[in-house]
Amino acid sequence: MLLNLTDLSSEPLQQQIIRQVRAMILSGELPAGSDLPSIRGLARENRVSVITVQRAYEELAREDVIHSRRGKGFFVSEIPDRKKQDIARQRLRERLTPAIEQASADGLSPEDIVKTVADLLAAKPLSHKEE
Amino acid sequence: MAKAFQLFDTVKRYPSFTLGPLNFDLEPGTVLGFIGPNGSGKTTTLHCLTGLVRADGGRIEILGRENDLSNPAWKHDIGYVGDEHVFYERWSGAKNLKFISQFYPAWSDDLAMKLARRFDLPLDKPARDLSKGNRVKLSLVAALAHSPRLLLFDEPTSGLDPVVRDEALDVLFELMETGERAIFYSTHILSDISRLADELAFIIDGKVMLRTAKDDLTDQWRSISFRLAEENVRFDSAVTVRRSGQDHQVVTCDSEATLRQLKALGAENISENRMSVDEIAVQILREKKDVKASQS
Repeated sequence: MLLNLTDLSSEPLQQQIIRQVRAMILSGELPAGSDLPSIRGLARENRVSVITVQRAYEELAREDVIHSRRGKGFFVSEIPDRKKQDIARQRLRERLTPAIEQASADGLSPEDIVKTVADLLAAKPLSHKEE
Repeated sequence: MAKAFQLFDTVKRYPSFTLGPLNFDLEPGTVLGFIGPNGSGKTTTLHCLTGLVRADGGRIEILGRENDLSNPAWKHDIGYVGDEHVFYERWSGAKNLKFISQFYPAWSDDLAMKLARRFDLPLDKPARDLSKGNRVKLSLVAALAHSPRLLLFDEPTSGLDPVVRDEALDVLFELMETGERAIFYSTHILSDISRLADELAFIIDGKVMLRTAKDDLTDQWRSISFRLAEENVRFDSAVTVRRSGQDHQVVTCDSEATLRQLKALGAENISENRMSVDEIAVQILREKKDVKASQS
């Protein structure tokens, strides 16, 4: 599994791995039950240290997105749709918080910020998967 | 599984420099970067491990065996690339490898040839006609062709051009996939191995001042900017503090502690930036103080 990792981001490699693997799981690209590459295999393929992948997997396991089976490696967990939504919402919150703080420091009112987000959503209709 | 190596109170004394006492070890499956400025004792540590110099005190175990200088069997599972590349200068690379192979029961000619091809190393030239880069490559092939369980590297990629350096790193990533091998990699610049290393040990003036998981550094260190009217504040866990009027920029080795303090002090406009492993390493080496003590 080749991830798109860069040293030039302020996001640590471990977080980049977590985010990209999680995204593949939430989008269904990695369906429930499918097996993940071994920690050492993923580390070699993507040229990152073993401990980085290990900690990324541990974090994903804590989020119940993946689970390990002793001696067999890691597998994608069954995630109810409601939980997927919760995770996605949480992620959005994490990403919006600094942007909102910055906008507010730049002098925008809460109404300005809400309107800007609404405009963006209106201008660029997002593809939304039908159930 | 036995540890890849263990140092117990290892000391080496020179008239103007003392290394140690060193007490640290390396688990199989782990890459440990050994970072320090020139003259800090990196090479001496490697020489003690490989038996090139005899330590004046303490004990060293390699893969569970005492590194007994009179019985070289413990060396069979070590691959070493040192700061000097010693060959029979009139012999070809191939003949040098043939000579080295007799000391290693697990040597594979096939693997040696494969590595030479990957590194684009001419094996027919006499060693004395090889460029600096090709001498490093020959050392790498010699160190890897017996698939050792412990690799000891002293700035192995210095002198290599970027393409070969990349290929060498690829080989190291492949080697680590089995989980049985360990790499101890000394360097004064981190960037080479900032992705490969699991852990880092920082050595300054002959003493290891910090040993840590690489990802702990990137988790905990931050550069924090803020405004604060109060003067003469001692910031928790601060490694460096820069100040211009009320504007502050603090590099901290424990961002949570520092942020807690800043909030209690009523600092304004707090913003934090993550730091790369390389940036953190520079801070640690620049400070030359016991970061570990201020972290606890």
